[in-house]
Amino acid sequence: MHELSMANAMVKTVLDVAEKNNATEILEVTIEVGQLTMLNPEQLKFLLDVLVENTLLEGSKINIEEVPVEIDCKTCNYEGLPNMDGSDHYLAIVRCPECGGRNLEITAGRECNVKTIKIEQEDDADASGSE
Amino acid sequence: MHKIADIEIQHDIMVANKKLARRNQKIFDKANTFSIDVLGAIGSGKTSLIETLIQKMDYKIGVIAGDVISKFDAGRIERYNVPVVGLNTGKECHLDAHLVEHALPDLPLKDIDLLFIENVGNLICPVDFDLGSHIRMVVISVTEGDDTAEKHPLIFKDADLVIINKVDIADAVGADSDKMVADVKEINPDINVIKSSLKTGEGLDEIISAIDGFIKDR
Ligand SMILES: Nc1nc2c(ncn2[C@@H]2O[C@H](COP(=O)(O)OP(=O)(O)O)[C@@H](O)[C@H]2O)c(=O)[nH]1
Ligand SMILES: [Mg+2]
Ligand SMILES: [Zn+2]
Repeated sequence: MHELSMANAMVKTVLDVAEKNNATEILEVTIEVGQLTMLNPEQLKFLLDVLVENTLLEGSKINIEEVPVEIDCKTCNYEGLPNMDGSDHYLAIVRCPECGGRNLEITAGRECNVKTIKIEQEDDADASGSE
Repeated sequence: MHKIADIEIQHDIMVANKKLARRNQKIFDKANTFSIDVLGAIGSGKTSLIETLIQKMDYKIGVIAGDVISKFDAGRIERYNVPVVGLNTGKECHLDAHLVEHALPDLPLKDIDLLFIENVGNLICPVDFDLGSHIRMVVISVTEGDDTAEKHPLIFKDADLVIINKVDIADAVGADSDKMVADVKEINPDINVIKSSLKTGEGLDEIISAIDGFIKDR
């Protein structure tokens, strides 16, 4: 899979934002990964730990939050989790657990989102520098 | 003095890719180029199908060869005297909108009505990355096993046209091509699934008219 290129993109995003906000230290990073992305959180974590060496991110706490799959049924308007108790959870995205309809939109579970960071900055730094 | 700040970033890499993809599509639209992202497993017949369509279709065709060893695929396409760009994806497991954007300046889009973008041979990784193409055509073949569709539902859910190729050797490999069609329909009930053989020519007319149809009601 493409954990490495995703991890690289995440590190770059975080470092860019940290720099723009005059961070002296990055304490924490929270990343959301959708369950349908096929990104393996363990592997992502490992790669992030390697990639952050000698950057401002070294030693930061990295939280990876898995985002469950949600569907929106166009037939019965069911919104929520698909039926994931079957053995093959990927096929569950295909049928609505309420009406069995197959006209579904996947509304969550495909994200790969750098959500928030907690940084330490100089007191007089301009925190609005991110935009 | 130091202070602690929580900063909302909310930078989704998938969303960022989608934005780039939309930009690519605008470039295609401006040049009046219809583009097709061609996905499928390694060796399913993506390049062969593109080669055949170049010969059979009446459009001015161009190709972005994006599979891992794109040099070879690009070389095959060049023989038909159509514009082709080989993308050096290196170890990438999928194309993304950014890679495609880089290929665009090397293509005479104004002279291309129909652009095929051959993606990396992989049924999983390319799924999440829109390239900006107008449609996605997934090419699988009976040699990958007739459980291919049920094992990879997402790629079929996001597809616009599905080709089940190499039906000429279905019996030899013990694959049930009707099951493959049924599986794809189970995942995506309204999609057009075409069985084809590039050896016998079966299904080609159907593929051509399906693509024609997409171009007409673009
Ligand atoms: N028997 C048979 N072989 C095919 C068919 N289509 C492609 N092939 C062969 O499958 C191999 C891989 O095809 P290629 O187009 O390179 O696959 P790609 O990796 O998806 O681009 C080549 O040797 C083709 O000649 C088909 O319909 N029937
Ligand atoms: Mg090829
Ligand atoms: Zn429903």
